[in-house]
Amino acid sequence: MKLKFGIYWGAACGGCDVAILDTHEKILEIADMADIFLWPLAMDFKYKKIRALEDNYLDASFFSGAIRNSENEEIARLLRRKSKVMVALGACAHIGGIPGLANMYTREDVLNRVYRESESTINEEGIIPREAWSEGEYELELPRFYNTVKTLDQIINVEYYIPGCPPVPLQIYSALTLVRDGMLPPKGSVIGAGDRALCEQCPRVKEEKKLTGIKRVHEVIPDPEKCLLEQGLICLGPVTRSGCGSRCIKSGVPCRGCYGPVDDVKDQGFAMLSALASSLDAKEQKDIDAIIDTIEDPLRTLHRFSLAASMLRRKKV
Amino acid sequence: MKRIEIDPITRLEGHGKITIFLNEQGEVDNAYLQIPELRGFEKFVEGLPVEEIPRVVPRICGV
Repeated sequence: MKLKFGIYWGAACGGCDVAILDTHEKILEIADMADIFLWPLAMDFKYKKIRALEDNYLDASFFSGAIRNSENEEIARLLRRKSKVMVALGACAHIGGIPGLANMYTREDVLNRVYRESESTINEEGIIPREAWSEGEYELELPRFYNTVKTLDQIINVEYYIPGCPPVPLQIYSALTLVRDGMLPPKGSVIGAGDRALCEQCPRVKEEKKLTGIKRVHEVIPDPEKCLLEQGLICLGPVTRSGCGSRCIKSGVPCRGCYGPVDDVKDQGFAMLSALASSLDAKEQKDIDAIIDTIEDPLRTLHRFSLAASMLRRKKV
Repeated sequence: MKRIEIDPITRLEGHGKITIFLNEQGEVDNAYLQIPELRGFEKFVEGLPVEEIPRVVPRICGV
């Protein structure tokens, strides 16, 4: 019997949905394995059809994107109710992703910048989006823009996680076959990815060199055969889950951690800081501090994709 | 006044909602397009090292 899937995006870019399409001819196998009941990127369904389904009607729903506003949360809760299995698809649903960087600011900071201060915006009356608006007989509503960006599992129970920004298409396909074949691992597992750190699969050579300073990418022409971290470029390979196919590293670009932390790591950014601390060519506190101080923008480098899921989570308000 | 909601609008990148108001004769009296989604890249790329910008802003739209 054919399965029933829902596919949805919250605060997302659509790249996860496109990664599903990027399975190329395997999309035909996906169409054979399941009927789709919601997929705004690719097909035309309305929320009211989903609301009318019986609870647990869908075998699985795949939710990409972070929880940024009340609509994201409402649809996440709706799909949770209608789905036997809920899968967080991609870095934003998994660990907050790039939209989670907004947790460095408040809701007002973001709205003021976007609608009042941005150089390309003309808004003399200083209007920002309102949840309710009316003019005569016309009444409109907008979702509430939250102060804090959340991961999917911070608002609903999530059975599985497919990491990546975006996830590798064939990894999505293999995760879908686990659903089709009833081969899903224990709940809470990451699927469609490796079990080990990216570093362990890296084709670059490590020489156990200690770091004397951190460099920015324009300050060094990296040796294409050698470990980027040992050349002074921050690379999150030691704390990031494998499964991406080392796309960035093979292009000479250090990892920023989109596949999220390996299994035993709770906070990817702090784990990286700890890994860095043990790789420094310094013993005295002041020498350690001097090297750490050379990290440009440590928060958005070490927690690039994981701020919303980290212990820090957001700026104090 | 009759109200027709198309929510969500589909097969595009992002989120959108259309509300159409019809008068007593069933003619379109007014229609609104709303974009309920915002992430705030304009804010959270401020101060980011410039060489990191090309790794962040492609996530504005992945379609």
